[in-house]
Amino acid sequence: MKKLHIPVEHTKLANGLRVVVSPDHSAPFVTVGVYYQIGFRLEPRGRSGFAHLFEHMMFQGSENAGKMEHIRLINASGGLLNGTTNYDVTNYFESVPSNALERMLWLEADRMRSLKVDDENLRNQRDVVKEEVRVNVMNQPYGGFPWLDLPPVAFRNWPNAHNFYGDFNDLDAATLDDVQAFFRTYYSPNNAVLLMLGDLDPAEAFIFAKRYFDDIPAHALPPHADVNESPQTEERRGEVEEKFGTLPALAIGYTVPPRTSKDWYAMAILDRVLHGGRAGRVHRQLVFEKKIAIGIDGGMDVFDVNGPTQMVTQIYHRPEFTSDATIGAYDQIIREVVEKEIGEDELAPVKVKFRADYYSMLEGGMGAHMPRFGLMHYLACFTLFDGDPDRINTVLDSFMAVTPAEVHAVAKKYLIPQNRAIVARRPVSAGEAR
Amino acid sequence: MTTPSVVTKPYPSSPPALGPERPVAWPKRTVRILPNGMHVVLVEARTFPKISAQLFFRSGNAVVAHSAPGLAEITASVARTGTATRSLRLIEEDLRRMGADLSAYAGADASAIGISGVAEFSESLLELLADVARNASFPEEEFERERRQRLEGLRIQRTTPDFLANERLRRVLFGKHPYAVVAPKEAQVAAYRRSQLEEFYRQNYSPANALLILVGDFSTGPMLEQVEKIFSGWKAAAPAEQKWSAPPRHSGRHVHLVHLPGSVQTQIMLGNLAITRSDPDWYRIVLANSIYGGAFHSRLVMNIREQKGYTYSPRSAINALREFGFFTVHAAVRNEVTAATLTEIFYEMDRMRSLPVTGEELEGARSYLSGVFSLGVATQEGALSQLSTVYLDRLPDDYLETYRARIHALTADDVLAAARRHFDSANGQIVLVGDRAQIADQAALFGDVTEYDAQGARV
Repeated sequence: MKKLHIPVEHTKLANGLRVVVSPDHSAPFVTVGVYYQIGFRLEPRGRSGFAHLFEHMMFQGSENAGKMEHIRLINASGGLLNGTTNYDVTNYFESVPSNALERMLWLEADRMRSLKVDDENLRNQRDVVKEEVRVNVMNQPYGGFPWLDLPPVAFRNWPNAHNFYGDFNDLDAATLDDVQAFFRTYYSPNNAVLLMLGDLDPAEAFIFAKRYFDDIPAHALPPHADVNESPQTEERRGEVEEKFGTLPALAIGYTVPPRTSKDWYAMAILDRVLHGGRAGRVHRQLVFEKKIAIGIDGGMDVFDVNGPTQMVTQIYHRPEFTSDATIGAYDQIIREVVEKEIGEDELAPVKVKFRADYYSMLEGGMGAHMPRFGLMHYLACFTLFDGDPDRINTVLDSFMAVTPAEVHAVAKKYLIPQNRAIVARRPVSAGEAR
Repeated sequence: MTTPSVVTKPYPSSPPALGPERPVAWPKRTVRILPNGMHVVLVEARTFPKISAQLFFRSGNAVVAHSAPGLAEITASVARTGTATRSLRLIEEDLRRMGADLSAYAGADASAIGISGVAEFSESLLELLADVARNASFPEEEFERERRQRLEGLRIQRTTPDFLANERLRRVLFGKHPYAVVAPKEAQVAAYRRSQLEEFYRQNYSPANALLILVGDFSTGPMLEQVEKIFSGWKAAAPAEQKWSAPPRHSGRHVHLVHLPGSVQTQIMLGNLAITRSDPDWYRIVLANSIYGGAFHSRLVMNIREQKGYTYSPRSAINALREFGFFTVHAAVRNEVTAATLTEIFYEMDRMRSLPVTGEELEGARSYLSGVFSLGVATQEGALSQLSTVYLDRLPDDYLETYRARIHALTADDVLAAARRHFDSANGQIVLVGDRAQIADQAALFGDVTEYDAQGARV
């Protein structure tokens, strides 16, 4: 396969802000992002959902751009924007015609230096966030499955195990002081990376970055909280009631090896052998061959997580199969990869697909109107987590070099009951599985 | 980094001006009609070493809406499960070997097989695409499996508020026209016969009914030769055109309440018939919609999200199917503000119909549409989507090149005229999906109420 080379230049301002630039003149747009290294994993205790609520507040006004002004300016410049809260990062990003680059930096720098919000903004966004939780979780079949269901069962350490969308009581308890304290603690240039991609001149982009961000003061960051899990000694199980959906569902999660460890690369390839779409062993056997499952989803978040995480299989199964029978069929797939090494004849095509998916992600990754979102996302994670944006061009080599023996070793080491958690969603409409 | 750096000069209090707009290189198309009638559009996009292709057939679920609803959709999903020479497993493994994904689906107006993968395998990918399009074998076992999956999928869809709202509104707006049907009933899926799928495939998956769009990292000349080699031996006639009865005209507002017990929100979806992309008013209504509720910074979002906090993702949309278009407004709100939200939705609609928009709104919305339209060509996926709009809807050849100028030429009077014509506030059909006990009294404030269950039966 033709190897892709992404041009990347980067620097660090005196205040610690990392700046990463990648020129690409194929179309007259730029994608700009600011990633802060704070996600829902490290939100304050007693304030579940706060990191996400805070993300909403970042659109509510800064010193020179009042409420809705960020959104108005980006839309009126011909662009689209969004922000998302993740385990270990929160991001703010926009794609605009390339003549709006400098304006985007003015906006992002304004809200990095000054969050100007009031109680009314907080009340308003708390209401909006509650409707977000209702529409995505409480009023949807399989809402929150499994991303909200599995962590409290799989993990014991609060940062990994709490409700990331937030209990409504905790959202109600959040105050404006909490908002400003969170901003002062984590939204500091030395805890962030600025990314600029697309139709731009790198030298000019660096000048803009310095012009708007250079005098934002750095703050001492709190020591990184301990997010490690104590060793697990037995399989963990949980159950959640499914209020609307008609099929029983299972989520099976195995905790994966730490980011960038040797095992991590092999685990990511093993994940694609098992999942990896309709050719993957889980879909082929459970949906196509045994016809136990109606739908399969899942996999491992490879690049954008920096702490305990799982390879998760979601199985929506026919009600005439019990949970136990379904888990039994799944376990047979697991036994096969534990007992017998997977040959290069199967790994080679899996690696081709891995590389193809990586390129697709770099090109788009969030719909047709946010070009190079994936490139931005991966560059940000390689910068913040690994200190090395150039990994964008080298990281694939380590996945491509994974051997059958290494895959076999991680299967034996990690695909064990003492390393997994299972959550069942049981439809109230169907009663017990027939 | 514990010492704050010194702030030396004040931060500029207003945003920097935009630089000069840079020209957009619109996709350079090579368009051919093969002797068998197949339309082919090729576009080089060489930034990433991949290709994306869509093979459309201009027949979708509308042509079977009165005989076997949803037949086009299940035909597409079973067509990809086996050919004369490939089993399901071989198809999936061939795709993986080429780093590829395949999709097969049908909407109201078209069926489509899409393939995207690594550029160096482009010839084999096209061969696989042609194999699925020409030689599908419809294995009995896979048909039965897909039928069961469709049945279970339908059961879940009928617990999903936005699906139920869309299904009901389409019924109301389109009446006896085939666009009224967005999904089959369970009994209709149970009644499908394998021979019906084969017949649909034989009649509609034909080169004279086909449009192939190919975007990617290739050279046009050799790629065109490959396409001709792979597809020119394929001969079959186009299906006959069908004529359908017109959708009903509605007079006065009416509320259609779909009862979903235990719902903690009301899914609001309301709308009226509007126009297609070939209507001279199209650009005007697109601009009016953008100011009303089609963008994040629109009046509807400002009002019911940013001021009132009733909802997370309100929006309005102009939807264009081949024969008709329709205007819709969507919001999922907590039950107690259902009536209050409807009041604001109609207020903002009436304001668009009564007063010209401000100069700042007009300028902002024109820039928004113009900019976002050009973002659409920056990825293969985006370019393919734009090209499929042009060639499936048979829009003028210069649609992409002239879109931005047409938008920039519009005035506040154009927006006002379009809103008056196409935001039919007085005759809006209102669908509410939610718990009847929570919202029935609020619903009754907006017109006569007809109640349904999730299966579509009157209650």
